[in-house]
Amino acid sequence: MDGGIAVLGQVAFWGLYSGCIYILLATGLNLIFGVMKVVNFAHGEFLMLGTYITFFFFVLSGFNPYLLLFLSIPILIGAGIIVERLCFRPILGTGKLNEIFISLGLIYIFQNGVAMVFTDEWRSMKSPFADLTIAVGPIQLPLDYIIIVAVTAIILVCLSVFLNRTTTGKAIRASSQNRKGAMLMGINVERMDMLTFGIGAGLAGAAGTLWAVSGQVFNPYMGSVPAIKGFAIIILGGLGSIPGAIIGGLAIGMVENFTAFFLGGSWKDAISFILLIVVLLVKPTGLFGEEGE
Amino acid sequence: MRLAQVRTPRNLLAAVILALALIVPFLVGQNLYLLTVLVLMLIFIIYSSAWNFLTFSGQGSLGHAAFLGLGGYAASLAAVRLGLPPLLTLVLGGLFSAFIGILIGITCVRLREWFLAMVTFGFAVIIQTLVVSQLAPVTGGWDGFAVPKIVPTSIPGYLVLEYYVVLLLAVLVLVLFYFLLRSRIGLALAAIRENETEARAAGINPVPFKLFAFGLSAFVSGIAGGLEIFHFGYITPEIFGIDLSFWPIIYSITGGLGTLAGPVIGTIVVTLLWDGLNVLGLTYGRFIIIGILLVLIIIFLPRGLVSLPGEIEKRWKRKGE
Repeated sequence: MDGGIAVLGQVAFWGLYSGCIYILLATGLNLIFGVMKVVNFAHGEFLMLGTYITFFFFVLSGFNPYLLLFLSIPILIGAGIIVERLCFRPILGTGKLNEIFISLGLIYIFQNGVAMVFTDEWRSMKSPFADLTIAVGPIQLPLDYIIIVAVTAIILVCLSVFLNRTTTGKAIRASSQNRKGAMLMGINVERMDMLTFGIGAGLAGAAGTLWAVSGQVFNPYMGSVPAIKGFAIIILGGLGSIPGAIIGGLAIGMVENFTAFFLGGSWKDAISFILLIVVLLVKPTGLFGEEGE
Repeated sequence: MRLAQVRTPRNLLAAVILALALIVPFLVGQNLYLLTVLVLMLIFIIYSSAWNFLTFSGQGSLGHAAFLGLGGYAASLAAVRLGLPPLLTLVLGGLFSAFIGILIGITCVRLREWFLAMVTFGFAVIIQTLVVSQLAPVTGGWDGFAVPKIVPTSIPGYLVLEYYVVLLLAVLVLVLFYFLLRSRIGLALAAIRENETEARAAGINPVPFKLFAFGLSAFVSGIAGGLEIFHFGYITPEIFGIDLSFWPIIYSITGGLGTLAGPVIGTIVVTLLWDGLNVLGLTYGRFIIIGILLVLIIIFLPRGLVSLPGEIEKRWKRKGE
């Protein structure tokens, strides 16, 4: 019996860890959606870029991969700003479907750009702490997973301090709550759009680094499914609500890992969509959503 | 009066394209590569027209490969297990696909735009998972299974025959959509697309019309799926892939969303570009070029290539003034 609890505890911890990746993706998507009301299906490509940046510089320099967060986040903030300026700004307000379609174009560009440089084979990298585990009661926890959970928590705390305490952060929240009102208060909402998109991409980049460090395999086409799950999470957790994204991300991480454990690995992806469809059947605006955007 | 109506430049163009399509096999002769490209092009014209038909009702789908695959699997299972002729099982596959399509449609009618996109994407993932896990004893899992061809390879010039069969079906599908969109159904769909609340106020119940559009789109996609499978002579779960969900969208946007000619022109242009770039050896580069093309078209030509002549004319007139 004790062994059973240990296994369940292990699975729950995997859920917590994979939830971290989803939380970072969903928080970024939620920020972007809150401010710009834009749906960027190419968000997973930022995750993919993050893993490849980490992989490339890790192989090149041999630095501790966690330090590479300070590289992948700024690079992706820059990439996000460029993408917003060139692709999303021109079509802002022309309809939800256009945003989805333009992200399809971006998906093709990013995936195959990376495939051209790194080929499309599956890769993985080994973290320097890969063999270390810490025993918590009967459960053996890999040190990497603990660091990943901690790093995610630190990133989220930094984000919330930035959003709540700094002037720029307050301006972002204001544009998210009422775009016109923010404009009247002298906030440059277009600059906030760029910044928010950049932060969202940066969070996805951080998720990418954590993905690579954890030893999971990756290839240039890995991003689409996690990104769409990110959307499932923000629909579940409520549009524009960051606590919702955190709870939703954890929930999806847990549900996925328990499903994979009980039903077999092939159901890992499908289960989050089943959950999403069931929720939307009962409540077409999402669990906490007020308006059907 | 009636003759003048028939002789518009648009209809003339359609007639020219049809005539070209009819004589093309004689031009390429026995070049099997080109014939294969043409057959696949026609299959994708059917498929993207079906996807595009859904947008006439104000709905969209990011997971249409689900219907392509369902049609393909149903048709090929019927052909292999029951020994029915492929042309008959095509219709069975379409009907099965439409049945599931209407079930999915029921869950979707209340959703708007990108929620709908997510749910349809999700269904494609779920169906693929079912096919490779729980249904694997029937479907052969990831390995798939061999299926007969539409026209047996033993007949000389089978690919040319196949081309004409697919061409006939493509023309039938386009004519069907043409008349549907001109009928009261088409008007109702347009009303729902433009403003659902106003359509309700005018006495149109959107639900049956949306379900009809979903079902018909799934039916035609299922037939396209069956055609694709019977063309290759083999089926695997990759038919549910994300790529196959995205292609009809790319074709329709390039050609022009919400027009009958859009998917046709888009499919022709993108397929030719695609295979042309392949011949040049740009394996990954062609994806990037298609991606850039898509982004540019959405930003600068939101109504697709179909609107290009009109836009150029507008520019000219503005310059003249």
